[in-house]
Amino acid sequence: MVDILPLSSYPSYIDLLPSIQTCNITNLPENYFLKYYLYHALTWPQLSFVAVVRPKNGYSKYTTTTENGAGSAAEQYPKVVGYVLAKMEEEPTDGVPHGHITSISVMRTHRRLGIAERLMRMSQRAMAECHRAQYVSLHVRVSNKAALHLYRDTLGFQVDSVESKYYADGEDAYAMRMDLSGMFINWAEIERKDRERAEKDEKDADEGDEVGELGKKEEKESTEKMVKVKVGRGLGVGDLVEKNEAQASSS
Amino acid sequence: MPQPLNSKDASLFRQVVRHYENKQHKKGIKTAEQILKKNPNHGDTLAMKALIMSNMGQQEEAFVLAKEALKNDMKSHICWHVYGLLYRADKNYEEAIKAYRFALRIEPDSQPIQRDLALLQMQMRDYQGYIQSRKAMLQARPGFRQNWTALAIAHHLSGDLEEAEKVLNTYEETLKIPPPTSDMEHSEAVLYKNVIMAEAGKVEQALEHLEKVGHRISDVLAVMEMKADYLLRLDRKAEAEAAYIALLDRNPENSLYYDALVRAKGIPSDDHKAKKAVYDSWIEKFPRGDAARRIPLEFLEGDDFKQAADAYLQRMLKKGVPSLFANIKSLYSNPAKRDTVQELVEGYVATTPQSNGSAEGQSGADNTEFLSSSYYFLAQHYNYHLSRDLSKAMENVDKALELSPKAVEYQLTKARIYKHYGNLEKAAEEMEKARLLDEKDRHINSKAAKYQLRNNENDKALDNMSKFTRNETVGGAMGDLHEMQCVWYLTEDGEAYLRQKKLGLALKRFHAVYNIFDTWQEDQFDFHSFSLRKGMIRAYVDMVRWEDRLREHPFYTRMAVSAIKTYLLLHDQPDLAHGPLPSAVADNDEERKKAVKKAKKEQQRLEKIEAEKREARKAASTKSVDGEVKKEDSDPLGNQLAQTQDPLKDATKFLTHLLELSPKSIEAQCLGFEVYLRRGKHALALKCLTAAHAIDASNPTLHVQILRFRKALDSLSEPLAPQVAEVVNTEFEALLPKGQNLEEWNNTFLSTHKESVPHQQAGLTSRQLLKPDSKPQCEQDLIATLDSKDITIDTALAGLELLSEWGSNHAAKSAYVEKASSKWPEATVFRLD
Repeated sequence: MVDILPLSSYPSYIDLLPSIQTCNITNLPENYFLKYYLYHALTWPQLSFVAVVRPKNGYSKYTTTTENGAGSAAEQYPKVVGYVLAKMEEEPTDGVPHGHITSISVMRTHRRLGIAERLMRMSQRAMAECHRAQYVSLHVRVSNKAALHLYRDTLGFQVDSVESKYYADGEDAYAMRMDLSGMFINWAEIERKDRERAEKDEKDADEGDEVGELGKKEEKESTEKMVKVKVGRGLGVGDLVEKNEAQASSS
Repeated sequence: MPQPLNSKDASLFRQVVRHYENKQHKKGIKTAEQILKKNPNHGDTLAMKALIMSNMGQQEEAFVLAKEALKNDMKSHICWHVYGLLYRADKNYEEAIKAYRFALRIEPDSQPIQRDLALLQMQMRDYQGYIQSRKAMLQARPGFRQNWTALAIAHHLSGDLEEAEKVLNTYEETLKIPPPTSDMEHSEAVLYKNVIMAEAGKVEQALEHLEKVGHRISDVLAVMEMKADYLLRLDRKAEAEAAYIALLDRNPENSLYYDALVRAKGIPSDDHKAKKAVYDSWIEKFPRGDAARRIPLEFLEGDDFKQAADAYLQRMLKKGVPSLFANIKSLYSNPAKRDTVQELVEGYVATTPQSNGSAEGQSGADNTEFLSSSYYFLAQHYNYHLSRDLSKAMENVDKALELSPKAVEYQLTKARIYKHYGNLEKAAEEMEKARLLDEKDRHINSKAAKYQLRNNENDKALDNMSKFTRNETVGGAMGDLHEMQCVWYLTEDGEAYLRQKKLGLALKRFHAVYNIFDTWQEDQFDFHSFSLRKGMIRAYVDMVRWEDRLREHPFYTRMAVSAIKTYLLLHDQPDLAHGPLPSAVADNDEERKKAVKKAKKEQQRLEKIEAEKREARKAASTKSVDGEVKKEDSDPLGNQLAQTQDPLKDATKFLTHLLELSPKSIEAQCLGFEVYLRRGKHALALKCLTAAHAIDASNPTLHVQILRFRKALDSLSEPLAPQVAEVVNTEFEALLPKGQNLEEWNNTFLSTHKESVPHQQAGLTSRQLLKPDSKPQCEQDLIATLDSKDITIDTALAGLELLSEWGSNHAAKSAYVEKASSKWPEATVFRLD
């Protein structure tokens, strides 16, 4: 059974980096030092994900709640069968913040289980939510039919251009991209509501002392505010996010 | 003594510093020399020149110069700082810290020196020192958030969670208005504080905090995971349920979320129906997902299992998912499930008509895919160790290949079947065929190389690997594999050399992997400053903790085990330092000398070839632009490693990490015993035995080692020191009481573990140690273990090695080999050399 896990979340699976590196060099000709993986994991920790075979005794090493699992530590390193390594473009030439897929692969022994698709979706969402990426870009070999199918037909990427001789062996690459703005979180709205709440708290504290125009402006939106605050406060981040996505998909 | 320069030279000195900072090494040296012409003893200039030379790779000359600089100006912080930087470049961190401290004493307000000191303290995990440095840095510049965060990290890692939280709070309180949500540094610092709270066990408080601030934090997924975990730990079930549902909506392919959801719902673990219903609802929500279909197969039993397995298998086989078996096999630890799966898939192939392009047309093609997938599944099933029947496996893979001759996976499985037959030549050949079916796929290329290595074909394997490496790298394909830290290949390559008794090359590869781990440990250095700048400190702290147990990784364990075995072999048979020797010559002194002489000659011949290659390369290549010297490996064959004066001491280097970080590995403990016993360190050897005993008291290797330890204590060449003797005797009493009749003790072991061949092998080894004249009978008994129905090829091979260990004669060995070969006629691994 294969699980898709965030590489550095809660708990952290950063100790799988050597296995991720092995997965990469076993499958792909484009390889990197471990430090480059570390660089990704420590700069954009939210964007990389790993696919592992669930260990027989669960993930006891990683959970603080359960007592020590049986066997040596080595037996508790789950087998890595896929990963996505992603980043934000540091100096985007177009000036638009966007994400980039540095490397993705799934072991041949574990293909067609939908692993790559899930890895991509998780990464894309984190790019939009955490880093406000407008779009995500990637390169793919023009001969890689399976990957092309995944990016274009399943995920909705579009070919941006063909980059001639992009790969070391002389093969061309499709430069592809996909818009992510639909997955954005409305941070401005969250901040506005927090501001309003803070102001209201303050107002409640020193009763009756109207502050002129500002106070009136507040009043206009107050009905709307009351409803919204309840949603935001009562249900927590998860629900806020779901709501946001629902809005996005309906537009 | 400060050494003032005139204004012209002082300006030149500033230029030197600038050149250094801009990495313009040659200009820097030139300018420094200009100053030195007039002021030959100017300490700071000498120091700067040394620093630049060090950066150009001239480490030794740099050290000489830096010492001279210090001699000329002991009171210069620059000289001391540079001295520290040189030690740092040399990875001698203790000395570097000392030098920085001297520099700091002279110039207490220097930020760069304080910073360099702090970084090293972190790298060395000197948390108390780091806290002091960080406090000083904070005091100097309290306006920088980084400095507060860094101090919090220092307290946190040193174990003082309360102080860490306090520092973060103090900074937060200075913020009049909350920073915007786009301020990720703030967002991370807030979440970091939350993690510290939870780690301190204040889960309730952490949850409260998260509910107050979580909605503004940019790492949305982390907040959701933390909140869900806290709720479940606080047993707030309804909220936990909602939280895990929200997580599953994002990622329905995570079994941990399902586990938690079932717990949150309060479903008893034996209520399979209720559990299944939960998973079914997620199938409905995400029809294309796998987890919700697959997980119930873990807990369902009997007919429920059969029904669910049937649906799962048919669906996947129809889709032709090649990873089906890999996804199913973990169920086989339950024999009933294993048999059900077998029955189901055998049923599919028996009842599905083989299409013949008949009137059915379209469905015919579907049938072919379904059938070939099913045959492929069965081939893997019968090849798997828990359901092995190799002739059936071969039959099925051939049927699958007949239907789809170009399927790489099918051909790959055929090679694996040959491997399990014990025919490594054929396995490598078949894997090569698989590679040729898809030459652009590196995965199958890697497999082909691996199988060649298993067959001890190092050169062929490298040739295959070179189709995907950057061969223009120094050292060609092998150089690229080193540079790209290809640990799996280096380890396999080394192990293949070890099997061929080419110990120099084996050690060469193991040391390469060892060095890669050193590099990985060193890699963290830059992040001590980088991560504070980037603000992603939770990930940073996780990295620091991981680095502390870096060599716990199975990649290290496996390499270290092989390296230690190599050194033990080298210690026991020093002649092997000169290359592989035919094993038959061991008994005959005359022949042995001849063979060693021949091996030495061969070794020299190979060395000469390498040296010539080196010269040729040197002549061809010009120096790099910046005058940097590329170091050539002077010992590519590892001969110097093999000709070590003290193999056991070298082995200890690998062993120390192994015992420290994988203490629960019984193999590590047993190897520790072997090294320490040979080094005459009885207390340490016993410590390993005791640890092994705690892991598995009936382990066969341990059994023999306990006996050998007794015999070693009985025949000490000089008595142990009294204190050591007392401890050793008392502790060993718990493993093997002194009054114990050893033969009885061994016979009990043999009769208790009648069914297990490894235990029989250990018992027989012990018997012939106790009673040398029983050897012929022991040999007979060992040969008889081949009749056991449970014996595997690997165990049988271990038995053959035992005969060599016992010093058995040719007749005994060939009888063993003959019997093994008739039991496994396809196997080629049983050989007399």
